[in-house]
Amino acid sequence: MLTIEGLKKGYEGNEILKGISIDVNKGDVISIIGPSGSGKTTLLRTITTLEAADGGHITFAGVDKDFEKLNGKDINTIRRNVGFVFQNYNLFNNKTALQNITEGLIVARKVKKSEAEKIALDALERVGLSDRKNHYPSQLSGGQQQRVGIARAIALNPEVIFFDEPTSALDPELVGEVLKVMQDLANSGTTMVVVTHQMSFARDVSNRVIFMADGHIVEQGDPKKIFENPSEERTKKFLTDILANV
Amino acid sequence: MDNIKLIINFLGQLLPAINITLIVSLSSIILGSLLGLLLAAAKMSESVVLRVLARVYVSVIRATPSIIMIFVVYYGMPMLFNNWFHTNIDGWNRMYFVIIALTVLFSAPASELFRSAHESISKGQMEAGLMVGMTPFQTFYRIILPQAFVVALPNFANSVVNLLKEGALTFTIGVVDMVAKAQMIVANNSGGYAWQTYCALALIYWVISLAVDKGVSLVEKSYQAKRKTIAV
Ligand SMILES: Nc1ncnc2c1ncn2[C@@H]1O[C@H](COP(=O)(O)OP(=O)(O)O)[C@@H](O)[C@H]1O
Ligand SMILES: [Mg+2]
Repeated sequence: MLTIEGLKKGYEGNEILKGISIDVNKGDVISIIGPSGSGKTTLLRTITTLEAADGGHITFAGVDKDFEKLNGKDINTIRRNVGFVFQNYNLFNNKTALQNITEGLIVARKVKKSEAEKIALDALERVGLSDRKNHYPSQLSGGQQQRVGIARAIALNPEVIFFDEPTSALDPELVGEVLKVMQDLANSGTTMVVVTHQMSFARDVSNRVIFMADGHIVEQGDPKKIFENPSEERTKKFLTDILANV
Repeated sequence: MDNIKLIINFLGQLLPAINITLIVSLSSIILGSLLGLLLAAAKMSESVVLRVLARVYVSVIRATPSIIMIFVVYYGMPMLFNNWFHTNIDGWNRMYFVIIALTVLFSAPASELFRSAHESISKGQMEAGLMVGMTPFQTFYRIILPQAFVVALPNFANSVVNLLKEGALTFTIGVVDMVAKAQMIVANNSGGYAWQTYCALALIYWVISLAVDKGVSLVEKSYQAKRKTIAV
């Protein structure tokens, strides 16, 4: 469904992504793990066109092109078919929870307002926040804001939703409610690519784990295999370090 | 007591000329804001040429005293029009020259405060808009602008009050605004009651500036109130 080949990206001469290839199939829940600074955020941002890539090829939603050759129309197509959940939520601060969700439906998708509100209420229901629909972001806890962020993404019914460390900015006691929502999504067949430090999520919820370091994919595979019997020394070391800290 | 009566009397004579002051100020604020918006866009554009041009323009304008700006426009523009477009604009209503001068003056601080208000809104707001499929313009218009507006409001009010005061120089090229009117009153009284006349004038400016501040805080409050309403 989504295929990335040889994706490259640098900042001011520093190569950050050194040729990444990923295959995402419908219904996949892929966890991307790896040390901080390894390029995980950059990877999600280049795939979703928030950042321009320097090289590589994308096959997705009818677009089949080198990244450098993407035109405005391709970029629109890609953006319309992905969802993005940000580390720091990025809810529209001047909109209520409900409006945060209807905004894209009404303005970008041209859905009728009444229809959009119905979809948005459904989405809020799924993340357990129907009773907060008229709250502004500043009136919501971090966990609630992130759940609205997730509702905003699912309401658009994208092919795949990217999550960039969705729980990293949260107080520890709020992590659970967000993970729970993500687990429900995964169970309902939503295609998800999740950058995370939550090893429990990577191990128990996803069907594939990708370990990234220094702009490379070091190793990927079945969570059981990666966690119990990694082939690469770097993976082993990363997992030992991170699990020791939990 | 007599003084107060006099001041009230002068207020009555000055107030009819407030129209001119208001027309000049309002037009310059609206046009200056639009120009300021363009300048702010130029300052943040990817083009180095635009950025440098905008920066030079703003620094020149900021360094120009209002009275000089008014004179430069009043004496310079007809010459330019004559040489470049072979059009005679000497007959223009003099108010237009003041409006042009004040528009140019207002655009500089306006561009600066629009730019800083825009930059105070996190980049993530734009990215979130793009990721729900909105275009950059839609996101700017619906998400960034309303937030930047609230941020810019207090400084904007400051600039407006400054402009009102600079507008008091309108009389220098012979437009009969409140200041010119005050001068006439004093002249008619052979120089008498000058301080009472100007007190009345100052009072009017004070009330306008209070009204601007009040207006701004009302708008701010209504925004805050909106955030606080939690309909269940
Ligand atoms: N906009 C940018 N400009 C310059 N360098 C950047 C930028 N964004 C990220 N980087 C650099 O790219 C590297 C990878 O960053 P990132 O993708 O955020 O890693 P991760 O998400 O895995 O922690 C880091 O060294 C970071 O400093
Ligand atoms: Mg990151």
